This record gives sequence, structure tokens and C-alpha cells, in this order.
Amino acid sequence: MHQLTARIVAKEEVSQDIFRITLFAPAVAREAQPGQFVHLYCGDHQSYILRRPFSVHRLVGGDAFDVLVRVVGEGTRWLAGRRPKDSVDLIGPLGRGFNVDGQFSRALLVAGGMGIAPMVFLAGKIAENKVKVYTVMGAAGRAQLLDFMDLKRLTRRIAVATDDGSQGYKGLVTDILSKEIEETQPERIFACGPAAMLRSVAGISRRHGVPCEVSLEARMACGVGACLGCAVQARDAYLKVCSDGPVFTTDELGW
Amino acid sequence: MADLSVDIAGLKLKNPVITASGTYGSGKEYGQLIDINRLGAVCVKTVTLKPVAGNRPPRLWETPSGMLNSIGLQNDGVDAFIANDLPYLAALDTPIIASIAGTSVDDCSRLAKMLSALPEIDAIELNISCPNAKAGGVIFGSDEKLAADVVGKTRLATTKPLIVKLTPNTGDIAAVAVACERAGADALSLINTVLGMAVDIHTLRPQLGNVVGGLSGPAVKPIAVRMVWEVARNVGVPIIGMGGIMTAADALEFIIAGATAVAVGTANFVDPQAPIKIIEGINQYLEKKSIATVSELMGALKID
Ligand SMILES: Cc1cc2nc3c(=O)[nH]c(=O)nc-3n(C[C@H](O)[C@H](O)[C@H](O)COP(=O)(O)OP(=O)(O)OC[C@H]3O[C@@H](n4cnc5c(N)ncnc54)[C@H](O)[C@@H]3O)c2cc1C
Ligand SMILES: Cc1cc2nc3c(=O)[nH]c(=O)nc-3n(C[C@H](O)[C@H](O)[C@H](O)COP(=O)(O)O)c2cc1C
Ligand code: FES
Repeated sequence: MHQLTARIVAKEEVSQDIFRITLFAPAVAREAQPGQFVHLYCGDHQSYILRRPFSVHRLVGGDAFDVLVRVVGEGTRWLAGRRPKDSVDLIGPLGRGFNVDGQFSRALLVAGGMGIAPMVFLAGKIAENKVKVYTVMGAAGRAQLLDFMDLKRLTRRIAVATDDGSQGYKGLVTDILSKEIEETQPERIFACGPAAMLRSVAGISRRHGVPCEVSLEARMACGVGACLGCAVQARDAYLKVCSDGPVFTTDELGW
Repeated sequence: MADLSVDIAGLKLKNPVITASGTYGSGKEYGQLIDINRLGAVCVKTVTLKPVAGNRPPRLWETPSGMLNSIGLQNDGVDAFIANDLPYLAALDTPIIASIAGTSVDDCSRLAKMLSALPEIDAIELNISCPNAKAGGVIFGSDEKLAADVVGKTRLATTKPLIVKLTPNTGDIAAVAVACERAGADALSLINTVLGMAVDIHTLRPQLGNVVGGLSGPAVKPIAVRMVWEVARNVGVPIIGMGGIMTAADALEFIIAGATAVAVGTANFVDPQAPIKIIEGINQYLEKKSIATVSELMGALKID
């Protein structure tokens, strides 16, 4: 865990209101694991003061990494307004990522909307261990299907669902998940996306008897496990999304 | 270098900047990011006799220049604190203030007794923002008599400096402060968070799982400075001022209004370096103004 000033080396609008921002931060890039996040101080504003959490999207060379930011409010709007050579104060890498060391040879990644953020990093990492990777991804429409080409390259099979049917199946990722599980026979499922989707992925995984890990979101203050503000109700206690997670096994959560 | 040291009821601090209870975990979370030994003292998360699960999420909501929290004093209980957190704290070269709370007078005095027996603990802060179960859930710190009762009994249970942490959620904080001083408090710290609430207009639901929560951060600072000033005029014991301190200038406002030391809470979330920057900023201010010791500024407010 480090606190440092990261220089922005690139910024690109990859889809409407979604920006890919490249941050130069060697210490963070070297330590980051898929599913971990960084806590960014979004401005020097008096009106809102808390940091905002963002997944480490992917490593860029050895010294930099990308975050994928969707503009939803003031903090993300500030971030999207930064330019190359600007800098941001960052704490990271934070939290516990996906368990990539586990003994498995086939994994299915499930991403919904911005849940795509940690997936290329994750796919690349587990593919290093000769794991066969499969992907199911969903988005509002074709334009929001981020990283499709990269995931296509890294995974053996990719299934797509869009709300408007502009690409792949018309409907939710969870509508096509059972079929993908049957056809790819994964030993692990790794999911990131909206809370309702994750609940549903957890249920489907359980019915197929496949261990599942989900990456959760919660409002955060400290981001380092000190304030207990990001609690999630787990099987028998509250856990901290920022430091016990953000990735949890559905078993831990009792889902 | 100006002399930043202060004395709080016999507790010697190398500088007046303390980290506020509940915002600093048990220290080790931030130990990776700053040199904790530079802090004046660390006040750790409030502990209770038995584990407390805490409130249902969501527990945070950001507000203009502040935040609401409804953590609900989640902690693993005093035994777990002693077993798991104290070893790290004991190795630090800065005073440790243990914060305690209970829903009965008896709980508070038992906690004070247990923790006072430990040489690693330098002072006890009694958080009286908790409801008294026997008094029908009335907050100890909102009532002079309840406050005096719990402070008096806790006083008898410890020989360490006893700091009483006041809540702003009362009609007359100066009256409660006076009652606590008379009952034996060695120092007072204030303010705890200000009770608040926020509503999601789309779902028609409260933003916090607990409906109401405590407001902290810069939004509460003017209230906190006013309360420190009011309390300082009415009591003789030292005051630890807090509420929205982000910068050295904020800290100095509290000191000038009458605080001997200050505590930094929400600012740690924004910038873990904040307490260090505040210590350095206080020093710079004193040097620039050729003030030799920080205690000269204490209560130096001039009203024409
Ligand atoms: C572990 C984790 C990883 C994340 N990764 C990404 C990512 O890779 N890309 C991305 O675009 N977004 C990500 N998010 C969500 C992102 O943090 C929020 O969109 C962002 O905080 C919104 O800030 P704002 O000021 O623009 O919005 P506002 O709505 O104005 O924010 C108000 C407050 O609510 C908090 N908040 C709002 N939405 C969320 C949310 N979904 N999760 C947590 N806190 C929230 C903000 O931090 C702020 O304190 C992640 C969240 C978490 C918890
Ligand atoms: C997340 C959070 C948790 C807190 N927990 C405690 C606590 O356990 N005990 C306590 O006495 N005060 C607690 N407080 C209050 C702070 O110690 C402090 O009094 C208050 O936040 C005002 O200072 P600030 O504006 O600098 O944060 C908490 C505050 C926050 C924000
Ligand atoms: S955000 Fe503070 S404990 Fe998780």
C-alpha cells in the first residue's frame, strides 16, 4: 500500500462518458493484483472531500496502469476532466483481489457494465497459469461493450448479452449464464458488476456447484480498513469491502 | 522549531495533534502510510465490554463538505482489543488513548478498570455519546445528571488521566461539561459527530441503513469551534478540540478558542498525511509569528 502522486500519462474517451486514464505509478503497478483497487482523491474541492475507489483496470508496461472511469457524479466528472501531465493523489493498491493462485484449470469470467473493469487484467493473469478462460459479458449496447477485442484474444470463448440486442443475445448476462456454464464446465466463476447481477450469478453458480467469487462495491471513506464504513453483511459478521474484499467468495457472504 | 509539547492532565504529548477515535482503526491501518510515532497521541476506536456487531449498511453518506456515518460502535470487544490490537500499539513511541463506551455505568467503570491495568495505555477517553439502557436509552452525554453519574463512577475505576468525550447533541454542552469536570474528568474532548440524516428522493428511503447518522468533516467545524469556546469559558480542565479539522489553520482556530490539543478524524480519510501536515503547519505558524510555545496560543482569543 502506497500513497503517492500519480501522473496522468494518457486519457481517452473509450465510449460515451467512459474514460480510460493511464496513471504512472511504478510502485502500485508492480504490486497490483487483479480485483484490487486504488483510492483517488478527485480534486481539491471543498464541496466533496472523500476519495473515490476505482479498480485497477490493466497494467501498462511495468510502471503504469489504467483505470476505467464512468462519469456518474462530481468526482468522476473531475477525473474525466484531467489531462496528460496532470496528477492525482492515489492510495493503493488496496483490498483483496480475485484468488488467482487457486487450483483450477478452467475459469469463467462474468462481467456486467462497468464490471468489465478488472476483467482483462484478471484474464491475462490466470491465462499465464495455462488456465482456460471463458467470458460472458453484458452491457447496455454494443458501444458499451468495452474491451471486447482484448477479452476475445485472451479467452477461448466469449458470449455477449446486450440490453438492446445490438450485439449478441438481447437480455441479461444472467439469462445466458447457465448455458455457458454447461458448455464450458468451469471450475471457478469470477464476477464483477451490479449488485443484483452478482446475487443472481451467485445463485446460478451454486446450482451448478461451481465456486464463485464476486467483486462488491460499497461507499467508502478510508479505503484501508480503519473506519468500518464499507461493511457488507457476510455469513456471520460484517466484513469490510475495502480490506476484506472487494472480492469475496459467495460462501463467505452466505449468498 | 517552536515548542509544540502540551500537557493534558499529566499526559505529556510531543505535539498537540491526536487522531480521533473511530477514524484511525487501531493505528496499524495507517501505519503503512505515515510515521505514527510523529503524532501527539493515537486515540483508538471505541471499545465495549462485549463485541458490538454495528449498524446495518449502508453506513456512509457523503454530504457537502462532510460525511454522515452510522457505524454503530462496531468492535470485537475489549478482550479482542487487548489480544489483537494492543501489541501493535504498545510498540509505538507515542501515547495511546483507549476509548471506551457502554450502555450502563457499570460497563464503563469495568472497562476503565481493565484498561487502566495495562501499562501500554496512557489515558482513557470515556465516550458518553452512547445510550444508557437503564435510563430508557437517553444518551449519557445529553444529560448533566447521567453524565455526572457515569463520569464519577468511571473516575473511581482508574488512576490514569480520564478524558470525557462530549456529544454536541445536547441542549447545553457547557452545562454537561461542567458536570463532567465536577464528577472528576481530567480533560474533555469535543465534539463527537452531529446527528444528521439524508434521504434518497428516488427510492424514498434514508441513505443510511440506520436512518440517522453522525455528521463530521469541515461542515461541522464552526459548530465545534463555538462549542470548544463555550466549554473553555466554563471549565478549568484541558480540552481536546475536534470537528472538521483538515489543516493547521483549522487546528489553530480550536487552540485559540481554548483547546489545549486537537484531534483529526475525517481528514485522515481524505489525506492520511493530514495530521503530519497539521503538525508541521502549526510549527510554521508559530515560527512566523515568533511564538515560542503552542500553549501560549491556547485560549488567546481576543474579543473587542
Ligand atoms: C471497489 C470499487 C471499485 C470500483 N471500480 C470502478 C471502476 O473501475 N470504474 C468506475 O467507473 N467506477 C468504479 N467504482 C465506482 C466508483 O467508485 C463510483 O462511481 C464513484 O465513487 C462515483 O463518484 P462521483 O463523485 O462521480 O459520484 P457521486 O454519486 O456524486 O458520489 C457520491 C458519493 O457516493 C460514492 N459512490 C457513488 N457511487 C458509488 C459506487 N458505485 N461505489 C462506491 N461508492 C460510490 C462516492 O464515492 C461519493 O462518496 C468502484 C467502486 C468500488 C467500491
Ligand atoms: C467513521 C467515523 C467513526 C467514528 N467512531 C467514533 C468512535 O468509535 N468513538 C468516538 O468517540 N468517536 C467516533 N467518531 C467521532 C470522531 O472521533 C470525531 O469526534 C468526529 O468525527 C469529529 O471530528 P472530524 O470532523 O475531524 O471527523 C467517529 C467518526 C467517524 C467519521
Ligand atoms: S472504507 Fe473505511 S473500513 Fe472500508
